[in-house]
Amino acid sequence: MSEPDRTSEPGRTAEPTRAGEPDPIGPDGPGRSLPPAVTPKGARKKRKKEPKAASTSGPATPAAAESLSERPMLRTGQPLPRPAHPVRVTTVTAEECEPADHRELLGLMRDWRKGRATKKLGEVISDAYVVVFGVLLVGAMAVNVVLQAQTTVSQCATVACTSARLFLPWATVALVAGLALSMARLFGPVLASAAEGTWLMSAPVGRARLLRPRLVSALLIALLGGALVGILVTLLSGTAGREVAAWTIATGLSAAAVVAWAAAWQTAGRSGPARWSARLFALLGLAVLVLVVALAAGWTTFTLPGVARIEIAAAVAAGAVLLLVVCAVVAGRRLDRIERLRLTSGGSLVSGLSGAFYALDLGLIHDIVVERRAREKGHVRAMRGSGEAVRALVLREVQRALRSPAAVPTVLLTAVVPYAADALGLATVVPFLGALAVFVSLIPLTGGLRVLTRNSGLARTLPFTNGQIRRATVVVPAVVALVWAIASAPAFVGFGESAGSRPVLEAVQVTLLTAFAGLMGAVRWTTAKPVNWGAPMASTPAGAIPPGMITAPIRGIDMVLLITAPILLNLPLVVSFVIAAIVAVVLLGGFSSEGLQATREQQQKELERQRAARRR
Amino acid sequence: MLKVSGLRRAYGPVTIVRDFDLEVRAGEAVALTGRNGSGKSTVLRCLVGADKADEGTVEVNGHPVLETSVQSRRDIATVIDDLDFFPDLSVVEHLDLLARAHGVPDADALVDEVLEEVQLVPQSGQLPGTLSSGQRRRLGLATAFVRPRDLLVMDEPEARLDVEGVAWLANRLRAEREQGLAIVFASHEPSLVDTVATRVVELGAPRQTEGARG
Repeated sequence: MSEPDRTSEPGRTAEPTRAGEPDPIGPDGPGRSLPPAVTPKGARKKRKKEPKAASTSGPATPAAAESLSERPMLRTGQPLPRPAHPVRVTTVTAEECEPADHRELLGLMRDWRKGRATKKLGEVISDAYVVVFGVLLVGAMAVNVVLQAQTTVSQCATVACTSARLFLPWATVALVAGLALSMARLFGPVLASAAEGTWLMSAPVGRARLLRPRLVSALLIALLGGALVGILVTLLSGTAGREVAAWTIATGLSAAAVVAWAAAWQTAGRSGPARWSARLFALLGLAVLVLVVALAAGWTTFTLPGVARIEIAAAVAAGAVLLLVVCAVVAGRRLDRIERLRLTSGGSLVSGLSGAFYALDLGLIHDIVVERRAREKGHVRAMRGSGEAVRALVLREVQRALRSPAAVPTVLLTAVVPYAADALGLATVVPFLGALAVFVSLIPLTGGLRVLTRNSGLARTLPFTNGQIRRATVVVPAVVALVWAIASAPAFVGFGESAGSRPVLEAVQVTLLTAFAGLMGAVRWTTAKPVNWGAPMASTPAGAIPPGMITAPIRGIDMVLLITAPILLNLPLVVSFVIAAIVAVVLLGGFSSEGLQATREQQQKELERQRAARRR
Repeated sequence: MLKVSGLRRAYGPVTIVRDFDLEVRAGEAVALTGRNGSGKSTVLRCLVGADKADEGTVEVNGHPVLETSVQSRRDIATVIDDLDFFPDLSVVEHLDLLARAHGVPDADALVDEVLEEVQLVPQSGQLPGTLSSGQRRRLGLATAFVRPRDLLVMDEPEARLDVEGVAWLANRLRAEREQGLAIVFASHEPSLVDTVATRVVELGAPRQTEGARG
C-alpha cells in the first residue's frame, strides 16, 4: 500500500478560529496532522507554578514520583497529567452512621422543595378555578349526553337491545380486567421514577414503606377507571336503577383486583401469569360480545330476570374483593423484593409516555411501548430472508407479521364489530365503526412502515423510492384487511332482523371501502410526522400552539371519516371510491412536499448554472 | 465520484459551512477533522442528502444527490447517526434484508462474513434494543459492508468502538479504499485518519454573521 499523500484540501476556504481560542490545527500547519488530544507542555508548566505546600504531600515528591514511562498513558501516547492538588481521602465506617428512615428522607426532600414554587398563591387558585370550572362544565355536558342516551336506549325493547343490556356489562368487566392487567404489566404496576430509583431506592431504607403508597395509588386508579368505564357502558346500553350501580362497582373492583394480582406477581419477579390472565380476560370479553351478536341475530335465546342480573354483579364484586384483599396483602408484604430495575423501568416508561402524551404524539407513545416489548423479548430465532429487491422487503414483512402471532388474529377478531353494530341496530354507522376497528387493529402490522418513515436513515440504506417502500410495507396489512372484508361481508348485507337490508353487490363494495378506509387510516396514522415545535405557533384562545398539534389526535380517523362519510350520507358509492383513490395516491405514492421542494430547488440550481455558462 | 461545489449551510445567524468545495475520486479517502461544532457532520449530512445545503451542489457519479433518489441510495453507503432499526428484527435479519434489497448475489454468505467481521455472531439473534451502544455501532458499520457501494460516507465511525474495533475498522476502510471505493469520513481518531485517509480536510469554527451578535 502506498503511503497516504496528506495535503490540505485546495478548494476549501478554512474558517478562521475565534480569538483567544487555541489553534486546533497545531504547529504543523493546516491539513498536515491532527492536533494532540492533550497539551502536556502546558500541564507541566502549570505544575511548576504549584506552591510548595501542594507538592509535599502529593505524588510529585522525588521519592514518590515514578518515571514518565511508568505513568499511565493516553491512547495518543502521552502521559496522563498529574493532579494539580494533593488528593485527600476521608473515610467513614458503617458503625459511625445511623441510617435515616423513609419518613425522614421524604420529609427532608419536602423541606428542600419548600419555597421553590414557580407560581404565586393567586396563580394557583386561579388555575385551580379554571380546572374545576372546566371539569364541571365538560362533566355536566357529558353526564347530560349519557343520561339522555340512556333514556332513549332504555326504551328500546328489541332482542338486540335486551341482549346488549344483558351481556354488555359482562363483556365490559372482562375487557376492563384484561386492559387493566395489560397496563399493570406494562408499567409495573408498582413503579418509581429513575431519580427515585437512583437516590431513594439505593438508600439503606426499607423499600416497602416507600412503595406502599405507590401500590395503593395503582389500585385506586384501577378502581376509579374501571368504575368509570363500567358506569358509561351500563348507562349507554340502556340499563337502569340498581343494576347500574351493581355493575359499576363490580367493574371497578374487578379492575382493582386484577391490578393487585399483577402486583403480587410483580413482587415475585414474574410477569407471565399477568400476561396470560390478560389474554384470558380479553378472550372472555370477546366471547361475550359474540354471544351478544348471536342473541341479536336470533341464533340463540337467553333471558335472565333483573334480580338475577344484580346478584351476578354482586357475586362478581364479592369475588373481586376477595382477590383484591388477598393479592394486596401478599403484594404489600413482598414489596421489599421488587428489584430496582423493574421499578424504574415502569417509571421511565411513564416519563417517556407522558412527554409524548403532552405533545399529543400518539405515534411516539406506540414506538415507546413497542421498543420496550422488543427489549423485554430480547432475542428471537433469526430467520433467513428470501427474494430480492422489493420482494425481499415484502417477504421480510410477512416474517415480521408471523413473529407477532396476536397481530393478525386481533384484526380478524374485530370483524365481529360490524356484526355487533348491526345487531345493536346501528346499521347506518356500521361502515364507520368497522373502518375504525380495522384502523386501530392494523396499527401493530404497520410497524415496518413506521420505522422506515419516522426518519430517513434506514430508508436511505434501501435502493427503493419512498413510494416503493410504502407500498411494500403495506402489502401485509392490505392482505389482512382484505381477509377482514371477506369475514365481515355478511354483516354489511344485513342479518337477523335487518337481513337483506342492502343488495349483495352494494354490500360487497361497502365492505371493501370500509376495509380500505381502515387501512388508509392506519397508514396515515403511522406515517404522520410528529408535531413541529420549531414551526411558527398558531394563536388560539388556549394560548400559542403549533399548528399540527390540533390535528395530531385525529390523524387516521380523518381518513376513515373521509372515505366512509359519503356512505353514511347515502351518496353514490362512486364518491367514496374516488376519495379512496386520491387518498391512496397521496399516502402510498411516497408523496412528500419536502422531496418535491428539494427536487424543485435542484432544478432551479441546474437552470441557474446553465444560464451562467451561457453568459460566459 | 463525488463533487461538491460552493456548499453553504447556516443555522440562523451561525454559518456552519461556507464555500466548501470537495472532489473525491475512486480510491481516495478524505478525512474531515476539526473541533466539535466545526461542521463535519453537517457537511456529511449534506453529502448524503440528509440535510439540505443553503447553497451549492453535491453530485455523485454525475447525478445530483437527493435523499429520495434511488440512484443516490444505491451509490452511497452511509453510516451517520440517524440510522434506525426495526425493533423486532434481529441483527442478522437487518443485514440479510439489506443485502437482499440490494440484490446481492449469495447474500447469506456475505452477511455471515460481515457478521463475523464485526464480531456480532453471538448477537445475531438479538433484537437491536438489547445491544450495547458499541454493538449497535458495529451493526451500523456492517450495514455499509453488506451492500454494493461507490461512495462511503461515515460520521465518526470509530465512536463507541473499543481499541480493537478501531484497529479493525481502520484496516477494513483502508482495504476498501485500495479496492477503489471513495470514502469521506469525519473522525477524531488519529490512528484511523492516519491509516485510511489520503487527504485530510480541517474544518474551522462556525462563524456568526455580521450584525447578528446580540
